[in-house]
Parts: sequence; structure tokens; C-alpha cells
Amino acid sequence: MLLIKLATKSLLNRKASALLTLFTIAISVMLLMSIERVRVDAKSSFSNTISGTDLIVGARTGDIQLLLSSVFRIGHANNGVSWKSYQFISEQRGVKWAIPMSLGDSHKGLAVLGTNKDYFEHYRVAKKQPLSFLQGHEFNHLFEVVLGAEVANTLGYQLGDEVVIAHGMGNTSFHNHDDNPFKVVGILKPTGTPVDKTLHIPLAAIDAIHGSHAHQHEPAQADANDHDHDHDHDHDHDHDHDQHDDVDLVGTPKQITAFLLGFDSPLYTLQVRRNINQYKDEALLAIMPGVTLRELWEMLSIVEKILLLFSIVVVLISLLGMLTSLLSSLNQRRRELAILRSVGARPWHIFTLISVESLLITGLGCIVGTALFYALMLLGADYLQSHAGISLNIALLSSYELMLLAAIMVAGFIVGLIPATRAYFYSLADGMSIKI
Amino acid sequence: MITLENVLFKWHAKQPEPTINIPELDIDQGEHVFLHGPSGCGKSTLLSLLAGVTVPTQGNIVLLGKAINQLSNSKRDRFRADHIGYIFQNFNLLPYLSPIENVTLGCQFSKQRQNNALKNSATIAAEASRLLTALGLNDALQHQAVAQLSIGQQQRVAAARAFIGSPEIIIADEPTSALDTQNRQAFVKLLFEQASAANSTLIFVSHDETLQTLFTRSISLVELQGGTDATH
Repeated sequence: MLLIKLATKSLLNRKASALLTLFTIAISVMLLMSIERVRVDAKSSFSNTISGTDLIVGARTGDIQLLLSSVFRIGHANNGVSWKSYQFISEQRGVKWAIPMSLGDSHKGLAVLGTNKDYFEHYRVAKKQPLSFLQGHEFNHLFEVVLGAEVANTLGYQLGDEVVIAHGMGNTSFHNHDDNPFKVVGILKPTGTPVDKTLHIPLAAIDAIHGSHAHQHEPAQADANDHDHDHDHDHDHDHDHDQHDDVDLVGTPKQITAFLLGFDSPLYTLQVRRNINQYKDEALLAIMPGVTLRELWEMLSIVEKILLLFSIVVVLISLLGMLTSLLSSLNQRRRELAILRSVGARPWHIFTLISVESLLITGLGCIVGTALFYALMLLGADYLQSHAGISLNIALLSSYELMLLAAIMVAGFIVGLIPATRAYFYSLADGMSIKI
Repeated sequence: MITLENVLFKWHAKQPEPTINIPELDIDQGEHVFLHGPSGCGKSTLLSLLAGVTVPTQGNIVLLGKAINQLSNSKRDRFRADHIGYIFQNFNLLPYLSPIENVTLGCQFSKQRQNNALKNSATIAAEASRLLTALGLNDALQHQAVAQLSIGQQQRVAAARAFIGSPEIIIADEPTSALDTQNRQAFVKLLFEQASAANSTLIFVSHDETLQTLFTRSISLVELQGGTDATH
């Protein structure tokens, strides 16, 4: 107790340098913890994006590209899957459900997904959690829309509001038609996945919005870089859509972007996947979302490891800063150590005193750093959620994070042993005669 | 009480002349001894030996009937904490402790001195305050920051720290060298009062021979050193 009191008072006596050292450590702790929290949460956000789906089927492209375009709405598929193929595959033995997905349109920069009602029943996120409604219900009519939680939140939409769906991606779509307003009939609960940022409309409505203005489109051309033109492929419009009654929410589009499959038993997965990948009538690709998610994460793991490495280096540098300041103070404190020796302090008391100082600095640095970390998380959570789709978990420290803090404490202690050992030998050698 | 027998000390084995070479020295309990000698004659080294911080290369140092050079390092440290009060030349105090805390530090590494202190006062802080008052520091000064005290006042705090818990031996290493002449005499008298009150043996080291007349006994380290040229 006496030594802790002495260490504290001695540190307070050297406030300026002690505080600087403490803040260096605090900031490095904050950095390490933040990077680790974002990394861990990004990983779980990531793997929570889709579950319960056995296969994702799209036009032949890269596995990861298909996953990104169909699930993450990042990039877009240049080609679609013909409706004929979709129908053929979804009628295969063992297929429990099939969800067609038509992407490519947007509303104020947010993705619009044309799909069927099975989507609300079978789409799963995280650990097989179904989508559930915060308000309202799924769409039952052609011009009805179900909003993801964030869409409703950021745009301030409520049930009964009317929204206009633009053709193409991005905020500044060329075609913005006020004549096809969709009525908001449902708002989903937040999932922390791209679903939150999606507007869901009946598949048939996708063709309806395109069909009614077919005359404005240029003839189809294969310009992969132009969002608008890509969709022109779909637009050899069969106007028979207009004659469908409202209850047919699927219609018979020419093409869809991709579709999801669920099987009666997972045993079908590999077999059907092989069949699809060898499908003769059309170049198709089927991926298992879990496998591809893992591949994607592994691709990103280099970046992740570099980040971790950097933050560890920052922590080490801050501990070296502490070492420097303790060592340089030691020379000025030889008189102090001699006084302690004269009143009967043993060399190990001196050793402990200096060790306690380094532990105090590291410990307080960890506490302040953790506080800064939470402050940063509170400030940054919204931004990360809206810009990167990573839902941060502002929970108590995980055991992993506690372990990180413990590791920093141990490292601080070890670094502190250097000046402590030095002080120990000073106190042995100096005895009672110190000239400053 | 304090006995040195054939004490030789060399900082390292190859040193041609020993720093300390004292064939014999006896000091009785309660004596006030003035130890003088020019700079570089080995005073500080002798004090380190007496305080048990360093051990002689040869010979015995017997304090209170114990040959402290034969004790283990930690036992010697404990012996010092229990029986020796030490006053440095200057910069005697820990700047981050109050005068009272500086004084109580003197008995915090020793159960025995704590118990001795508690015979005089209810708490060790009260005992520290009593000693400081006896040494002429009033209540206000006792709670001031150490850095705000004058050198003379600081030396009195240091003296109080040496005296708290009534150690048998007080070693003062040129404690007056930073004081002016008038204050020196007053300070030495205060030391005598307290040493007599506790029946402590006082070993007072100085090269200022004007103080010599105040002491009952005076020892020249140069004369003490057998066969050593101690002039440099």
C-alpha cells in the first residue's frame, strides 16, 4: 500500500510527462480496441448477411461477384438468368423454395429488389433468423413496397406513403417517373444486413415500371459500364403484364438477376449445384453462400491482418514512450531512491515502486483508452452502419477484448521491468552517496 | 555500541590503496561524535559502511552487538530501518510528500520504530508533528509543500525523519553545509536535544571544524585511517 501511495504521489509530481505517456497509451489502446471491434463486427455482420439459403444462382461470372451483386448489392450482374431456366430449375426434385431476385433499379440511391412473397418467408439472416415486420405486412398488390428498416429510417417513410421507383442505380437516374408511385405497406425490422437498405417490390412491378416507358429507351446495347443501358436487355417488353390482375405478383419476366434456392435436404445441394453449373441451355453459376462468404472474407483478411499489425505496433511504440520517460526520469530520481533506501526501503521495494509506476500508467492508459474507445464507437456506429453496413455492437467488452487489455497490461509490466531493474541496481550501487 | 575492527574497504579488488582502512574505532551509546576530514578522505564511504548499505572488504562492523557485515542484504536493510536514522547533506526530502509524510516515512519500513513512535503519540502522524514542533516548525509550515520550505526548514524535517521512532544511531552527513553559520549552530543544538531525549548515538560528519567545540568527542578520519594517505 505504501509503495502504491508513493508511486502515485511520485507520478503526480511528474504530472506533465506522466499524463503525456498515459494519453499516448490511451490513444493506442483506443486504436487497437476500435480496429479489433470493427474487424470482429465486420466479420460477423458479414457472415450474418445471408443464411438458410442453399444456393444462389445467377449468370456465369465469378463466385464472389455473384455473391456481391445478389446479396450485398455491390456492383451488378451484367447478365441475367432467363425466366425459362429459373422455372425449369425451381421445379427440380428436392427444391423446397425458389426466390427470384431482380435488381438494378433504385430509389434515392437505395437498391430496389423485385421478388416474390417467398422472400419474406424463406430469406434468413444471421443464425437462420427470418425477416420480420416492424409494421405492416408483405406486398399483396403490384404497386406496393416493403421497406428495409434503414430505408424507412433515413428517408422518413411511414406506412401509406407513396414512393417513386427510378429506373437504374444511383441518385441521379435518368428516368424518374412520377406516374408509378408505390404504396408503403410494410417496414421490416432491422437486420444489420443489406436487407435494411433495400426496397422490396413484387417482381412483376419491375417489368411494369420499365414497360410503361419502353419508348424512352435506347435500343439494347452491351455497354457494361452504363447502368441504364444494361437493363434495356429486359425491355423487349411484352405488354401482356398490364393485363395481369394484381394478384399475380411474379409475372413472367424475360430475365431475372439471380435466384435463391432452398432444398428439402441439404444433401441435394451439391448435386443440384453441379447440374446448374453444367446447365446446357444457359451459362449459369450456382454458389453456396456460406462457402463464398468465407472466401470473400479470406480475401479481405490480409487487410484485416495489416490493420491488426499496425495497431499492435502503435501500442508497442506507446509502451516504448513510457520506457523512455521512466528511464529518463530515473537519473533525476536517484536522490529519491537513496532517501527511500536510507529509511530502510530494500532494493526490491525500489524495484516494486518503479514497476507499480509503470503498471499504474499502463492501467490508467487502458481505462482511459477504453473510455475513448466507447466514445468513438458511439460516434462512429451510425456512420459505419450507413456507409459500410457494419453494425457495431456497443456491448460490454468481450473476453477477447479483455484479453487484449490484459496483454497490454502484461506488456506494460514487462517494459516497466527495465527501469525497475535499473533502479534496483542504482539503489544497490549508489548506497548513501549520491551526487546529483 | 559501535565498534569497528580492522575494517578495510575497496570499491573493487584491484584498487591499490583501500578507501577505508580503520584498525579500531569504538563509540559508546549516547555519545555525540564529530567526525571530520577533508573531502575525498572516505567520509561518505565510511557512512555507507556504518549504515550497512555497503559491506567492508575485510573486518567487522559491530552495531548494537551485531556484526552487520555478516548479515544478509535484506537483514541489513531491516537493521537500518529499525536502528538507524540518516540525514543527508541536502535535498533530503521527497518533494511529492508533505513535511509530515516525509517524517512518517522514517518509520514506515520498520515495525519497531512505528511502535516506538506510538509510545510517544497516538498516531505516527501526531508523533511526526510533535517532533517537527520540537525542531521549531510550526503547524502551518508542517502542512506546506516541501518546495516552499527554506533549506534550514527542510533540514529540520529531515532531522525529524531521522529521529522518529527513536533509532539508536543517528548518522548526519554534513547536514549543515547548506546552512549559514548562525543556523548551523542552532541546528546542531536541536540535534543534540533530540538525540539526548532519545538517548541516541549521534555521528555528525562535517568538514566545518568550527562546530567541533560543540561536541563531546571529535574524531579525525585522517588520523583514524591507518596507513592511508587520505589527503586526496
